[in-house]
Amino acid sequence: MQNWINAYSWMNIRFLLMGLEVTVLISVVSVLLSFIIGSVFGIIRYSRIKYLSAVVGFIIDIIRNLPLLLIIFFTYFGLPNFGFKPETIPAAIIAMTVFESMMLAEIVRSGLNAVDVGQMEGARSVGMSFVQALWYIILPQAYKKMIPAIISQFVSLIKDTSLATIIVVPELMQHAQVVYGQNANYILPMFAALAVLYFIICFSLSLLGNFIDRRLA
Amino acid sequence: MSMIEFHDVQKYYGQFHALKDINLEIDEGETVVLIGPSGSGKSTLVRTVNGLESIQNGSLIVNNQDLSSPKTDVNRLRTDVGMVFQHFYLYANKTVLENVMLAPRIVSHIPEDENRQRALSLLKMVGLESKAANMPSQISGGQQQRVAIARSLAMRPKLLLFDEPTSALDPEMIDDVLQVIKKITSDSAMTSLIVTHEMGFAKEVANRVIFMDDGRVVEDDDKTEFFRQPKTERAQQFLSKIITH
Repeated sequence: MQNWINAYSWMNIRFLLMGLEVTVLISVVSVLLSFIIGSVFGIIRYSRIKYLSAVVGFIIDIIRNLPLLLIIFFTYFGLPNFGFKPETIPAAIIAMTVFESMMLAEIVRSGLNAVDVGQMEGARSVGMSFVQALWYIILPQAYKKMIPAIISQFVSLIKDTSLATIIVVPELMQHAQVVYGQNANYILPMFAALAVLYFIICFSLSLLGNFIDRRLA
Repeated sequence: MSMIEFHDVQKYYGQFHALKDINLEIDEGETVVLIGPSGSGKSTLVRTVNGLESIQNGSLIVNNQDLSSPKTDVNRLRTDVGMVFQHFYLYANKTVLENVMLAPRIVSHIPEDENRQRALSLLKMVGLESKAANMPSQISGGQQQRVAIARSLAMRPKLLLFDEPTSALDPEMIDDVLQVIKKITSDSAMTSLIVTHEMGFAKEVANRVIFMDDGRVVEDDDKTEFFRQPKTERAQQFLSKIITH
């Protein structure tokens, strides 16, 4: 019992919260960037633009089928060989964004494909350009369908930030490791704290998703 | 003045030869009804007229613009060529009023007030002014089709294409839609090309009847001639089947 009380000393908690801050930072930036890049890639793949769509599809397929851990390693240890040496946090953000963008791109593409082709024909038949039809008619309907899939992808993104601990990003998981590295009796209390903190962030994101879903329905 | 000219048009879907040697000329103001068994190429033919389907050979001139030329601005052409689909295709994310107002706003840049006035009077013309604020999913199929007609009229097209406008409707909804189409086609400035299986309606509105079979125009006749005594055996067969039903 005493172990648990000591484990949760203010100093340790504060240290965990500092890690949480970095986790949230990496998550928010990666979510925003991958939403934008994923949308662009998904739309390009859906649009069947000669060559470009095929090239983008090829990139998506490759990255989606690599382990995220490998991408994180490559960003931190591989990129310096090409003259670019990111710090740990930017490296984590780059790796997460690259990987999650491709996952998002596939969600966006399938969401666009799920909109009845008649919606596009109806819009084109009155003289709208492809881009206008996409913007005013297809995308709003597609994103509405995609909300649950996008939210669940972002939930896994947040959990996956813990992988960044491997390149010693000072995020939540890594800070927990530092704490129980000093005292093995703190292992279980730290695992419990991690579980609670990750759960709180991810579950509130799911709730937000449900809320948006209901508002739009 | 001709509105639509097909010259030796061929259309393929892969190996399938969907339109064969189509030669047709449709004049401004004509109301032409296109009939024939399913799979005969009627819908395909209508869809080539506003560029929803491309053609592989021959030339197709609509409203003085050559659809077979890559230089033709298809979006521009479509503002003069309205289309009414079998399944309506109203924008599911927009209200009835927005469905009618959207294209005039973003394609033709009509001032907002004028656009609204026009949209409301079109909805009134099709008898659906009271549904302006509804979403398409909240109104019946027949009502959706009348909104779709209003939507295509909002662009003030010179030519209207109807692709089986009543085939997806419950029997008691069909009449309202046909009444609206009748009203539109009676305007002598409007050219219309209508694919339909409603023979009574065809008899009433058409100036001219085109009968298609197996991707070809088999018969192209004045309405009265066609319904009194079709020239080809295939058309006779088709008509007798429909009438005995």
